Amino acid sequence: MRLPLILAAGALTLGLTATPVLADKLDDIIASGVLRCAVTLDFPPMGSRDDNNEPIGFDVDTCNDLAATLGVTPEIVETPFPDRIPALVSGRADVGVASTSDTLERAKTIGFSIPYFAFNNVVLTREDTGIESYEDLAGKNLGSVAGVFEAIALEEDFDTWEGGSFRTFQSQADVFLALNQGQIDATVVTGTVAASTVNSGNFDGFVIKGEAPFLVDYVSLIALRQEYGLLNYLNLFAHQQVRTGRYEELFEKWVGGGAEAPNLTVPGTYY
Amino acid sequence: MLGTSVTWGDVTFMMTGAGLTLAITFWAMLGGTLMGMVFGLIRAQSPWYVNHPLGAVLDILRSVPLLIQFILFNSFQSIAGLGMNPFVVGCVVLAAYTSAFCTEIVRGGILAVPATTRKAARSLGMTYWQDMRYVVLPLGTRVMLPSWIGLTLGVMKDTALVYAIGVIELLRSSQIIITRKPHEALIILAIAGLIYFIVSFPVSRLGAHLEKKWREND
Amino acid sequence: MFNINYTFHWNQAFRALPDMLEGALITLQIAVLSMLIGIVVGVLLALAKEARFAPLRWFANTWIEIARNTPALFQVYMIYFGIPAVLQLAASLFGIDFRALGINIFYLDSYWAVLVGIAFNNAGYLAETFRGGLRAVPPTQTRAARSLGFNAVDSFRLIVLPQMFRAVFHPMTNQMVWAILMTSIGIFVGLNTDLTGITQELNARTFRTFEFFALAAAIYYVIAKIVTGGARLIAWRLFRY
Repeated sequence: MRLPLILAAGALTLGLTATPVLADKLDDIIASGVLRCAVTLDFPPMGSRDDNNEPIGFDVDTCNDLAATLGVTPEIVETPFPDRIPALVSGRADVGVASTSDTLERAKTIGFSIPYFAFNNVVLTREDTGIESYEDLAGKNLGSVAGVFEAIALEEDFDTWEGGSFRTFQSQADVFLALNQGQIDATVVTGTVAASTVNSGNFDGFVIKGEAPFLVDYVSLIALRQEYGLLNYLNLFAHQQVRTGRYEELFEKWVGGGAEAPNLTVPGTYY
Repeated sequence: MLGTSVTWGDVTFMMTGAGLTLAITFWAMLGGTLMGMVFGLIRAQSPWYVNHPLGAVLDILRSVPLLIQFILFNSFQSIAGLGMNPFVVGCVVLAAYTSAFCTEIVRGGILAVPATTRKAARSLGMTYWQDMRYVVLPLGTRVMLPSWIGLTLGVMKDTALVYAIGVIELLRSSQIIITRKPHEALIILAIAGLIYFIVSFPVSRLGAHLEKKWREND
Repeated sequence: MFNINYTFHWNQAFRALPDMLEGALITLQIAVLSMLIGIVVGVLLALAKEARFAPLRWFANTWIEIARNTPALFQVYMIYFGIPAVLQLAASLFGIDFRALGINIFYLDSYWAVLVGIAFNNAGYLAETFRGGLRAVPPTQTRAARSLGFNAVDSFRLIVLPQMFRAVFHPMTNQMVWAILMTSIGIFVGLNTDLTGITQELNARTFRTFEFFALAAAIYYVIAKIVTGGARLIAWRLFRY
C-alpha cells in the first residue's frame, strides 16, 4: 500500500522537475505569443514613422516576418541607438532589429546573428563645400554618430589627416542638422540613409559624393549573448530571408531605385 | 503659421512635450520633497554617525552630472531587470537628485530657528511635535519656501536632460520637428525657449517677491 | 526579483582610464574658462543692471532672465544650432550669400559652442550673485571710510571689495562645481573630447554602458571634491579673523 504511493509521488516529482527548467528565451517568446523587437525609428529607410506616427521601414517589416515565422504577434519597441542594449538586457525587448554593426568589440557584450543587411558608406556633403570625393575630406570639418561603424572608420582616417575637426553626435538627425547649418562640411553615412535623406527634400543642397573606401558594414540581428537557442533561430531566419527572395523584395520596397540588394556573403570564408 | 512651415500640429506636438516636462517636474518634486523632508529632519537633529554618512551619500548626487546619473541608473535598472520605462527612470533619478538639494533646504530651515526659541517652546510645555508644528514650521518656512521655489525651477530646467534616455519632452520634441524642418530650426527653438520662459519666469518672480517680503519683516 | 543577464567587465573600463582622464582635462579647461568669462561678464551685467541708461538695463535684464529661466542644454543647443541660423537669416536680408563666396561664417566648433553657452549661463547667475554681494556691504561703510580720509577708489578697494568678495565666494564655488557638471551636456552638440564625450563614445563602441559611466561618475565626483576642498582651503586662508 505504501510503496505504490511513494513511487507515484516520486514519479510526480520527476515529471514536474523534468520539463520547465530548460525553457529559454525562444520558448518564452513562443509561449507568450508576442515578439518584442527593439527598432530604431530615426534611421530611414530602415526604421521611421509614417504620417500617422506608425512605425515603418525595412527593420519593421523584418520584425513582422520574424514574428510570422514564430507564429506570434510582433510588437515594436522604439529604441534610440544608445538604448538598444539596455532594452535587451532589461527584457523590455526580445530581439534587436536595429541595423547593429557586428563589431568584435560589441560581440563581447551582445550576441549577433549572421548579417541580415549590409551597408556601403558614402560621402554626404553640401553643394557649396567643393568636396568631390572621399579624399577631399582631409582638412575639413567632419561629423558622424558617436561610436557607429562609419564613425570609427572615418576617425581613423581623420587622425592621419592634417587640420579640420571631427565631431560626434547622439543621433543621425543631429548630424544632418549640423551639416545643414554648416557646423560640419561633410559626413560619411550609410548609402541607403544618405539616398533617403537627399530624396526627402528636407535638406536642400545635400549631395552624395562617391563611396567611402571602408569595409562593407554588415549589420546583424541581436539578442542576449547567452541565448543560443534564439540566436540559432535568428541565423536560420536571416538565411531563409535571402533564400526565399524576401530579402530582395524588402530591399526593392524600401531602397529600390534600381540598386541591387547588397551581397551578404564574404567570398572565400565560412561565417 | 507666422509665414513659416511650422504647423499648429507641430506646436501641439511641442505642447505635449511640455506637458511631459511638467509631469516629470511634478513627480520629481513630490518625491524629492518628501524624501528631502525626512532626510532634512534626520540631518538637522541626529548624531554625527547618522548625519555624516547620509550627508556623504546625498553629496554624491550633487557632485555627479545629472546627465550621467540618468544614463547610469537607466543602465543599472536594465541590468537588474527592473524593466522600467524611460519616463519612470527620469522621475526616479530626478526625485533622488532633488531630495539631495531639498534635504539641505529643510535642514537649513530647521537650523535657522534659534535654539533658544525652541527651548522656550519646550519650556512652555509643548511636546516635540508641537514645537515642530507651531514654532519650527512657520519660522522655517520663511527661510525654506523661496529656496524651494528656486529648486522647483531648477528641476524643471533639468528635465531637459531626460532627452538622453529617450523621453520625448519639450526640448526633444522640438529637436524631432527640427529634423523634419531644418530651415525652421530657429523659430522652433525660439518657441521651445518661450515655453520654458513662460512657465519659469512668473514662478521665479513669485519666489523673489516672497523672499523680499519676508526679509523686510525680519 | 533580480534576474541578472549581465557580467560586469570592469577591466575594459579601467583600461580606458587614461583616455577618460585626458577628457577630464578638457572638461576642467572648459569649466575654468567659462568661469573666468562668466565672472567678467557677470560683473559687467551686475553694473549694467544698476545703470541709468535704460537700454543697458534692458540688455542686462534680458540676458540674466534668459540665462536663469531656460535650461542650460537649451542655451547651448541654441548657440550651436540657432546662432548660425540667425546669421544666415541676417546675411540673406542683406542679400549676401556667404556660402556662394566660399566663406563659412556660420562655422562654430562644438568646443566653443559649449564654452560660450556655459559662460553665458554662468554670467547670468553670477550677475545676480554679485548684485547680492554689492548689497551685502551697507553704504554706511563707504561713508565711514570716506570720513576716515580714504579716497573713493581706496574705500572701494580696501573696504567694500574684500567684504563683497567674502559674500560671493561661496556661491562662486558652487557655480564652479556646477560649470564642471554642466560641461557634460556638450555631447548633444557634438563635443567628443570632454569626459562625457569620450565616455559616450567608448559606450557606443562596446555597449558597456554601466562600467564606463560609473567610472566617469567617480571622476566627476573626485574633481568636484577637489574644487570644493580647494575652495574651503582658500576661504580658510583668506577669511579667518
